[in-house]
Amino acid sequence: MTDRGIQIDELTVRFPTPDGEQVTAVDRVTQRIPESGFVSIVGPSGCGKSTLLGVIAGLQPVTTGDVVVDGRVVTGPDRRVGLVFQEDSTLPWKTVTDNVRFAMQIAGVDRAEQRRRAREAIDLVGLTGFEEAYPSMLSGGMRQRVALARSLALEPSVLLMDEPFAALDQQTRLLLGAEILRIWRRTHQTVLFVTHDLSEALLLSQQVWVMSYRPGRIIDVVDVDLPEDRDASVVSTPEFNQLQNRVWESLRAESLRGFRQESAVGA
Amino acid sequence: MTVGQREEADPVALPAGSTPGPPRRRRVWGDGRLSALATAVLLVALGGCWEIGSAAKLWSPEVLPAPSALLPALQALAGDPRFWADAGRTGGEVLGSIGFGGVAGLLVGVSFWKAPLVGRVFEPYLVSFYAVPLVLFYPVMIVLVGLGTPSVIILASVMAAIPMALNTWVGLAAVPPVYLRLARSISCTRWQQLFRVALPSAAPYVLAGLRLAVVYALIGCIAMEFTTAQAGLGYRIRYLYDSFETAPMYAYILVVLVVSIILTALLAVLERVVMAGRNRS
Repeated sequence: MTDRGIQIDELTVRFPTPDGEQVTAVDRVTQRIPESGFVSIVGPSGCGKSTLLGVIAGLQPVTTGDVVVDGRVVTGPDRRVGLVFQEDSTLPWKTVTDNVRFAMQIAGVDRAEQRRRAREAIDLVGLTGFEEAYPSMLSGGMRQRVALARSLALEPSVLLMDEPFAALDQQTRLLLGAEILRIWRRTHQTVLFVTHDLSEALLLSQQVWVMSYRPGRIIDVVDVDLPEDRDASVVSTPEFNQLQNRVWESLRAESLRGFRQESAVGA
Repeated sequence: MTVGQREEADPVALPAGSTPGPPRRRRVWGDGRLSALATAVLLVALGGCWEIGSAAKLWSPEVLPAPSALLPALQALAGDPRFWADAGRTGGEVLGSIGFGGVAGLLVGVSFWKAPLVGRVFEPYLVSFYAVPLVLFYPVMIVLVGLGTPSVIILASVMAAIPMALNTWVGLAAVPPVYLRLARSISCTRWQQLFRVALPSAAPYVLAGLRLAVVYALIGCIAMEFTTAQAGLGYRIRYLYDSFETAPMYAYILVVLVVSIILTALLAVLERVVMAGRNRS
């Protein structure tokens, strides 16, 4: 197989909860993302969004089915797959440059190349001038840019983002979203972006997958036929509203179901 | 977009293009100078009161000799080969205990973290060891290992290893899980995960442990020499005490004080290096 991009084939992931029950986080999911595609997953919290991402990143064992990235079945972590976490993953004892270089050091990239790529990646995420700053001096949004630069510097063909903006305020989210789009248009990675923000999903991606509450299935796939070079102003167009309504329709029932189950567990 | 970027950068309160380092560092140096000055003033004031008190015969020179009487005693020590033999022996014991205890504590801490079950089983014993005056076991050690340096080093190492192990363990347990997931996602080996991610992340705790380890090693060595040993600074202080040689005794005590202050200061420097950039103030 020479097919590039991501293929998910009949993927099921089950794991035991602390109280001994089996949870089916991902249930028979079959989807594909073409090379350089940008797909977002939305779904109620507690559905298998992050689990699915973990499987593609090689961090989460598969129960049945498989995931193929760039023609190779995922069996463990792979440096061609970049991962940006929801939490702040910048290492506080390293400067911005050293944080960006860290992954390359582990990967054994030679020093001159490390420096060149670090400079490029820092420039790409707009942190030029902060190379020698420590994360403690940076805002949350800037730290996420450092984490993104660290992933980009490895030049992965696939970029997985697990709610990277979840801890940020609305304005920063919008700006960083636009940055991601700008970077993606230049680097053409295959991107899978997890979010619980519908408008963020529609703004960024070419396709949105709606995931159900446990067991996690993809219950709707929405192609986003908005202009390629859209920006935040698109949110006020009727087309955007229509899409948003459609996604919300699919999502609402699931969110309610998830909400009820979580409440029942809590009671 | 560029305008937006600037806005995003604003909360850092740094003018774009300026290096973020210098203003922060200058303030730290200012603090350092201030505290050094305060310490000097305090010492001079204390020495002055002490001298005046002695001159006014508020206490007898047998109890506490004047600083001016201690200076000649200190000078005499510098030329005394017996003093250097004592200092060498105690110094070797303290450094040995810090070394052995530090490494052993680190290993124990890391293995408790790697094998949580082992950690849960042994942690209560380790904690209760804290409360045991280990000096009490010195006679046992003499029976087992014999008089002299080894028995002192073994007990002082155990005393130093305990805080080191507990702190290392706590520090490793406090490593944010996302750092470990990051390590896995970029295919770190177990070794790299430990030395490049987990231990650096736990470094502030490990250093706090080392600080305690140094203090415990010093206390352990001096206290054990004090009780039964045949040489060393602790032994000499007790010997001089028993023979009413007050001035030389205080000179020895002063030496021990200075050594412990120097060790603490060295650790503070190390701490500053390791903590560079980390303070989220």
